[in-house]
Amino acid sequence: MLTILLIATVTFFMMHAIPGGPFSRERPLPDEIIAALNEKYHLNDPILKQYFDYMVGLATFNLGPSFRRTGFEVEELILLGFPISAKIGLMAIIIIILVGIPVGIVSALRQNKPADYFVMFIATLGVTIPSFVVAALFIYIFAGVLQWVDAFGLERPSSYIGPVLALVGYSLAFVSRLTRSSMLEVMRQDYIRTARANGLSRFKVIYKHALKNALIPVVTYLGPMVAAILTGSFVVEKVFTIPGIGKYFVQSVNDRDYTMIIGSTVFFAVLYVIMVLLVDVAYSLIDPRIRLGKKSE
Amino acid sequence: MGYQQNDFDFLDSSRKTDKEQIREALTYWADTWRRLKKNKMAIAGLIGVILISLFALFGPSFTDYEFAEQHTDFANTPLRVEVYEISTDLYVYLTPAYRMIVVEPDGTFLYRLDQSGFDFANKQFHFDYEGEDVMVDYSYKLLDELADENIDYSITFRGVEYKVPYKVTSNKSYPLGSDNVGRDVLTRIMYGARISLEVALFAALFSLVIGVTYGAIAGMAGSWLDNLMMRIVDIIDSIPLLLYVILIMVIIDNKGLGTIILTLGLFYWVGMARLVRGQVLSLKEQEYVLAARMLGVSQPVIIWRHLIPNAMGPILVALTMMIPTAVFTESFLSFIGLGISAPLASLGTLCNDALDAIQTYPFQLLAPALMIALMMLAFNFLGDGLRSALDPRLRKG
Amino acid sequence: MSNTILDVKNLRTTFYTHMGEVQAVRGISFEVNQGDVLGIVGESGSGKSVTAMSIMGLVDEPGRVSGGSILFMGQELTKLSDAEMNEYRGKEISMIFQDPMTSLNPVYTIGNQLIEVIRRHTDLDKDQAHARAIELLQMVGIPEPEIRIKNYPHQFSGGMRQRAMIAMAISCSPKILIADEPTTALDVTIQAQILDLMVRLKNQLHSSIILITHDLGVVSEVCNKVNVMYGGMLMEKASVFELFDSPQHPYTLGLLKSIPRDVTGERKRLVPIEGTPPDLLKPPSGCPFSPRCPYAMGICVREAAPLYTLSDTHSASCWLHHKGAPVVEGFVQVEEESVHE
Repeated sequence: MLTILLIATVTFFMMHAIPGGPFSRERPLPDEIIAALNEKYHLNDPILKQYFDYMVGLATFNLGPSFRRTGFEVEELILLGFPISAKIGLMAIIIIILVGIPVGIVSALRQNKPADYFVMFIATLGVTIPSFVVAALFIYIFAGVLQWVDAFGLERPSSYIGPVLALVGYSLAFVSRLTRSSMLEVMRQDYIRTARANGLSRFKVIYKHALKNALIPVVTYLGPMVAAILTGSFVVEKVFTIPGIGKYFVQSVNDRDYTMIIGSTVFFAVLYVIMVLLVDVAYSLIDPRIRLGKKSE
Repeated sequence: MGYQQNDFDFLDSSRKTDKEQIREALTYWADTWRRLKKNKMAIAGLIGVILISLFALFGPSFTDYEFAEQHTDFANTPLRVEVYEISTDLYVYLTPAYRMIVVEPDGTFLYRLDQSGFDFANKQFHFDYEGEDVMVDYSYKLLDELADENIDYSITFRGVEYKVPYKVTSNKSYPLGSDNVGRDVLTRIMYGARISLEVALFAALFSLVIGVTYGAIAGMAGSWLDNLMMRIVDIIDSIPLLLYVILIMVIIDNKGLGTIILTLGLFYWVGMARLVRGQVLSLKEQEYVLAARMLGVSQPVIIWRHLIPNAMGPILVALTMMIPTAVFTESFLSFIGLGISAPLASLGTLCNDALDAIQTYPFQLLAPALMIALMMLAFNFLGDGLRSALDPRLRKG
Repeated sequence: MSNTILDVKNLRTTFYTHMGEVQAVRGISFEVNQGDVLGIVGESGSGKSVTAMSIMGLVDEPGRVSGGSILFMGQELTKLSDAEMNEYRGKEISMIFQDPMTSLNPVYTIGNQLIEVIRRHTDLDKDQAHARAIELLQMVGIPEPEIRIKNYPHQFSGGMRQRAMIAMAISCSPKILIADEPTTALDVTIQAQILDLMVRLKNQLHSSIILITHDLGVVSEVCNKVNVMYGGMLMEKASVFELFDSPQHPYTLGLLKSIPRDVTGERKRLVPIEGTPPDLLKPPSGCPFSPRCPYAMGICVREAAPLYTLSDTHSASCWLHHKGAPVVEGFVQVEEESVHE
């Protein structure tokens, strides 16, 4: 909660620190128009009042009108774009978890075998190659050369493949690498030896005793992963021209649509903080030592 | 079994003392280098980094173009060109946008012919060559009855129709083609790589300076100051950084090199500060630091002469890993239109510029994109290799 | 005499690393009878832990048992598959480890881990297993077992965790309990309690113990037989009395001289054993101890000595027992050789 407040405040004052105000453009507008605009957006009010108004608006999810898209309220634009982005993002997260973790486990169990080398090679590529490169390659190969899918938009189910793939890239690779190394580390632990010495089956040793411990660092990564997917969506939605919130944000950045920038930033920040909170909850469910730490505080 | 004569005589001490293996004494860095050499990936990364740096630094002196030099006549040329010989010593090339360029026999571009007419009904373009008419018939691709002739167009000059190119050759004027205003893609990638590297290197160095200073102060100071400084680091860490980099870029609104270096440096020192603090905390307990303190060496000198050099290994690894991060962030920002802008161009800008024409001229996007990927790979491999070479856990074993 | 439960013959365990073969155990033989507390003593790297892991069938890649046999109640263990071996582990032969802080899974409750083992090897249902778990915790002296069973390992002290480990190990009344340095990581005051507990439970359950340790003091307190290992080979095996009374191997002698024994009141100088243990990648061709042995002879560097039988319960692998060797005070010489290799 404090983080959100802090972010909103910092963002607000940062935007108001811009010299010349939001309407100074390459081509200066007549003074009376600027005055009228300032009047319309309450920019003549004292800064503290503006701040206070903004904070009240924020609490009631009323983020004010968009500077550049006349007739649209910022929250309308967010609500318009968010479901589309959320759908792709959610698909990406599901794929990352359902594919990344098993791949990491299998890779760890086949350590230094060809399958492991192959997976780790692909994963290294995935971690290093930026998402817009993946997106560009995808469009070139599958939409351009092979003509299997549409390059733009989301009309057909197959149109989701490209964006989701580009979005998934880095985090999927990262999660499988993390799972692998964490699994390898855990398999060396004494309690795994204990479990084996107690005659537990290989299956139980791996999927009960090792996995839960190995997932702890993976869960910690979920927070940053949400951030990565968020920023990844800026690029992916731009490349694939998807009308999601990421595309609106990039557009507003290019148009200097200040209310929209503030609104989206705060929205992203809130989303992020909520996800981090969820991750904390998940974390304490897995690791009993954390639970105790919280209780004693 | 047979026994030998002196089997049951005691050995004198000289014969039985086991020769203690004397391992070659290696300095820290020599040992690191030895480990690094054994790691194929790291060496591949190192070679990659060197090659890319050479490419970016010295490449431009070998091309015929400046990075901003425009030849709108030769815009959007691809990698391979079809040369038609339409008269003795008259060679032409037709661009994908139906512009006719007079070329040398080997395919080097000379000049563009003016378009003198356009016959929409018959799908014909007319060009003017010194008063004579050159006609391009592009109906082959469009009319069904001609579709089986596997050509796109034909060129007619002085009554003769040419359907087959004289030869297909690589683009001699622009080895990697030209962009939408006729700039050489290869030259632009060289400059783009140079700028991306510059930004990454300086941003990394900048954040290194802040991070090391901050971390060292926090680590040496200890107590409440350390607590406060680390709390600040925690707060910075808890927000999605890229968002704030974007905001700062929007606010400063000056898309120069300096801005982006400053912004990246301002935000990415946090990890370095944490690392240096941790190193300082563990190192300052060492005896040689105590000894230096007993000798009355001042605090800054202790930090500078004793702590930093000993923390150099991890710092170097962090620096190497920060470069690809900075390359990525810079290209990301440029890609969404916030980074370097014209006339300068980083790799991200190049990608962004080429995005609109991805369907028609994919190579203009692929070339810089692949360059970014190569840079990231090379630095990451090198960084990974360095990290394992410097890993104290592996050093002993 | 008493019935033999475990008969290890000429056991070899080798690790095939990329640097070469590491022969961690190089042909050792011993047996464990019912009721025995067998101590295996040696420095780190002498192969004592690998011996234990070989019996458990838990030698990991790139190592494996490369020769010899391990007979448990007449069953050859080295031929069993991993799944078949699981029927023995934790049920017939169980093991407790050195560091109780890390040997329990931190993300599951003590009860969960204990019940899991019980149900793995018995037909008890959930409630019965739960009751049995509480009973076991009671047996190993954990107070309020009904509450403690719901605790996580981090809520236990080191000594309590080792007790929980013991509870887990004895949950199916194993024939043999292998304890690998069970008290090294514990406070001295706790050490005696844990050892005492182990011996008491052994008698209660009619099982045997293999106690791996480098602490001769511990051996003298609880063991009845001792194997002394060095460089992957057996140097001497004896009853505790014989070993402390008349050690018949220079290495054992060295070990005894290097431990402080103020109980006797004598003020003797501690004598360290000079040199370092052998590199098992390139083991010396002869006796592994020869480079450090004050009595090394010509043959020692060429060939390892056979195991000379000195009494029913005492044998030693040292050329000094050969009738041709120079007489050294305290060392017996024997006529016939019982060659084990």
